[in-house]
Amino acid sequence: MKLFRREIIKLAGAALLSGTALTSAALAADMPAPFDNPGEVQIALVRYLSTGDFFQASLAGVEAQAAALGVDLRVFDSRQDAALQADMVDQAIALGVDGIIIQHGLTESMQEAAQRAIDAGIKVVAFDVNVENPAIPQIEQSDYLLGKLALEQAIADNGDTWAAGYVYVPGIAPLDRRDQAWQDVRAENPGIEEVAVFGTLDNPIANSVANQARSVLQANPNITVIFAPYDEFAKGVKIAVDEAGLSQDIDIYSADVSTADISAMREPDSAWAATVATNPAVVGEVSVRALAMLLAGEDPGASVIVPPTLITQAFLNDNDITNMETLSAKMPQFAHADVAVPDWMPLPARN
Amino acid sequence: MKSVQDQPLLRFAIRFGFLILLLGLVVFFSIAASGFAGARSAVFVFQSVAITGILALGVTATLVVGGFDLSIGSVATSALMLSAYVMVVMEQSAFVAVVACLAMGALVGLVNGLLIVKMKVPDLLATLGMMFLLVGLQRIPTEGRSISTGMTMPDGSTTEGTFSAGFLWLGRHRFDLVLDDLIPVPVVVFLIVGLLVWVFLELTRHGRLMYAIGSNERAARLAGTNVNRYKILAYMISGVLASVGGILLAARLGRGDIASGNNLLLDSVAAALIGFAVLGAAKPNAFGTAIGALFVGVLLQGLTMMNAPYYTQDFVKGAVLVVALVFTFALSSRKRGGGH
Repeated sequence: MKLFRREIIKLAGAALLSGTALTSAALAADMPAPFDNPGEVQIALVRYLSTGDFFQASLAGVEAQAAALGVDLRVFDSRQDAALQADMVDQAIALGVDGIIIQHGLTESMQEAAQRAIDAGIKVVAFDVNVENPAIPQIEQSDYLLGKLALEQAIADNGDTWAAGYVYVPGIAPLDRRDQAWQDVRAENPGIEEVAVFGTLDNPIANSVANQARSVLQANPNITVIFAPYDEFAKGVKIAVDEAGLSQDIDIYSADVSTADISAMREPDSAWAATVATNPAVVGEVSVRALAMLLAGEDPGASVIVPPTLITQAFLNDNDITNMETLSAKMPQFAHADVAVPDWMPLPARN
Repeated sequence: MKSVQDQPLLRFAIRFGFLILLLGLVVFFSIAASGFAGARSAVFVFQSVAITGILALGVTATLVVGGFDLSIGSVATSALMLSAYVMVVMEQSAFVAVVACLAMGALVGLVNGLLIVKMKVPDLLATLGMMFLLVGLQRIPTEGRSISTGMTMPDGSTTEGTFSAGFLWLGRHRFDLVLDDLIPVPVVVFLIVGLLVWVFLELTRHGRLMYAIGSNERAARLAGTNVNRYKILAYMISGVLASVGGILLAARLGRGDIASGNNLLLDSVAAALIGFAVLGAAKPNAFGTAIGALFVGVLLQGLTMMNAPYYTQDFVKGAVLVVALVFTFALSSRKRGGGH
């Protein structure tokens, strides 16, 4: 009987790969245990950060993949309260969930809570937080690659000799990893001169950064490239560049993307030349898939990296991309990452 | 102890100390930071403080009647979201957006005022509650997403509306003055609002009565002042000015950005409190608030030009505030006779 089921699974996987339109419901019966009865599987998402477009999109991805699997998803929002987040893991344990996704948080506060979940026989994956536990796979977007790809594009567009402005706030883990890429690229290209470093996370970030960037542009009129590896930074820099009337003379390279970013990049004469992004929805989907693999007794690997995609202004204009949906449609590698996809895994429907 | 009246130097320091400090800073940065001296740079300073300055003038109005408005930051960000919602999602004109925001600000101020005078809720608590309420409320219609053209709404539809050119003009247009494209609209609005609030508080009977309420509410009531009405008025001024700030912010950003507005609140309260020290007023006043905002703006502009990292800027802001409060409470109370 078991053998027979395996055959079916393979067949179903093959059918999926060959592009046959199979709904997830039809597949449900063909997935490995415990997903042969997915309604009984309960997973929890325990989030540290929730406000902002990135986290909304990532939640949408988690929900979409959970729906495709047909499992019951519970979302716990700790709203940047590290202690509460640990308590929420305990709540999820008490609730008797089968799997937990820990999204962001602090190593110190989550390490023990994650271990308690493992001890309770619950499968756990962690997204963008290192809980220092070999039983817990890490889902990561590669911030280093994010920075690196953007800078490689900057060098392709501008050569390897320019005066740069750099927007950076130390102490924020993803920004620190992107900073590493900046340091490496500068070490390899001595022609790149860092003439100003600025940045702030004061809310609204774009407005505060715009105020700073304008002062910086005034003080350093020789800047031709600004590396702003976070889209709120890039938005602020763009406001300042526009206000200074320098949009022809300066190129902005950034990381992350949203619908608003796309329209800013596509404005006539926009200084925002390129951005590199990992689709937050895809990261959410990959988290659920990695957890599902664990639950089915498979190994997604200790570290699951979701690769970033380079998005240039020219690509957006050539393909008339207006929002995240059209971007996903025109750029398949952005809409779906071929990560943590065993044959049996149902994928969210794409429109 | 000798009274301050007998110490001309100290009296001079209290009265003009802050203005001299401001002047000194400008001279220092002009020498130390290349590009600081100049008309454009001066306009930058004004622009960077215009929005917090407008909010600070609103706080000043509530401080005058002995109250406090913690909700201004979130009123501003609510206006930011509301204007974006009206134009991008409901596809209405700039005029409708502005009117809706101003009405929202007035309504929030009215509710704050009623909570405080009718329900007897202490001002800090009432406006704190309003702050949380608005931070949540502004995110409900879009389920926490920022608003921009082409975004996907919770129901799956795509937004078609845009920020109209007339609305963006409010945040981005620059008037010619000597140089082309020099003075941005928010700066003009800031100066006009500053002038209006100053005239209202210093020169009209209503302003005098509000100061009277602030210094002794019971005396003002016994003298026949309608204390409740003036208090509500103060909160409505605060709400409307905060929404003006939010409109200008939205026009500059060109999208409805979700943000808590906490920094707006803190910066504008700092400006209003620094204003206590200007001209030795030792009380909330519109001129002082404007100078206080400029003071912070000059510092931040200069420090950024000198490549100072962001945390030093917070440190400097805090230091200025502490010094200003010392000016106000230590030195000025001596002026009134021996301290309390």
